[in-house]
Amino acid sequence: MPAARAGESKVVAMFPFRTRRPKLAVVTDEPAAPSLAERALDHVDELYGLARHLTGSAGDAEDLVQDTYARALAGSASFIPDSNLRAWLFRILRNCFIDRARRAKIVLELPDEVDVAPPETWGATALDQLRYLTASEVGAAIAMLPVEYRLVILLDVEGFSEAEIADIARCAPGTVKSRLSRARARLRAALKESP
Amino acid sequence: MSQEADRLIADALRDHARIAAPARLRRKLARRHLGGRAPWLVPGLAALAGAAVATLVVLLVLRPPPPVIDPASEAVGDHLRMLGGRGLGVEVSDMHQVKPWFTGKLEFVPPITFLGDDEFTLAGGDVAVFLGHKAAELVYHRRLHVVSLFVFPATDTLDLERTIQGFHTIVWTRDGFGFALVSDLNFGELRALRDRL
Repeated sequence: MPAARAGESKVVAMFPFRTRRPKLAVVTDEPAAPSLAERALDHVDELYGLARHLTGSAGDAEDLVQDTYARALAGSASFIPDSNLRAWLFRILRNCFIDRARRAKIVLELPDEVDVAPPETWGATALDQLRYLTASEVGAAIAMLPVEYRLVILLDVEGFSEAEIADIARCAPGTVKSRLSRARARLRAALKESP
Repeated sequence: MSQEADRLIADALRDHARIAAPARLRRKLARRHLGGRAPWLVPGLAALAGAAVATLVVLLVLRPPPPVIDPASEAVGDHLRMLGGRGLGVEVSDMHQVKPWFTGKLEFVPPITFLGDDEFTLAGGDVAVFLGHKAAELVYHRRLHVVSLFVFPATDTLDLERTIQGFHTIVWTRDGFGFALVSDLNFGELRALRDRL
């Protein structure tokens, strides 16, 4: 019999085949905290979104998310109770992604960049275009970013602080700041040019 | 001005960069990590078994008059067919892609403007046969739970909440349309979705 959800009463029909009037048993459960697996699975959409943008394919993203949950829940003892479950899952997803890239002998390199951007002019028309971007335009602009830029900008979208992003991406907070800045500059350039 | 551009791009990323996980991935993960069965599938299977028993009893013993189909039980039946793997005609989380998909498939435009939010994400839509007529079916996800919304032209006034085979249903009418919500979510959560529609 499946466990009743927290705080719910269940009326369970017993032996409905044998009696014309099924016996009814009222089972009242005390509120129970959801398991780590249940709480972790609440974040499947967020993890899948990042996985899609990192891998660029639905199939690879599904595999990556499954790897992430398998690794996370097999090593659930490493999760510190009351710490940030979401950040822990994203860190594992990032590690799984790096491992998969290494196995596939894909080198994830960051471009050498100098932060000397020419001054930008944004007229009202150009800004208006940004207000009406479509999902495919946004997806294409993200796909043009180097993968580590993609990671930090998407973690920023998910509301993580720079310190949390640094922890997930395993880099210094200053590195996160510069990657975010460069990622934003690249997105501005890509989306300004998009038709 | 580039700060304004950054702000608008951040808004666009929040609106468009998030991609809902496919239903099959949710099912796989739930099977693997939640004791072998998806939590929303448990009442579904129980309901299917219950429906089979009820059908057997009706056919062999009771021989009742022809069954009267009401909107709530119709909604549960259609919801079960979707959970059973019928799939959706369109699986996207963007309402601006779902509504145009109905064009040419229905004789009405479903009066739904709720695009989904953090609590109820749109998973897609399909055409269902509801009370003998074509209806729009929209599917939302809340955590691992699946909610079906049926929208159909209605002349009668309907306003009911019922629990059938463990599924909660809310049926109501507005401006010549009927709406039926069905899920294993509790009534409080279903009402929260109804209030958004």
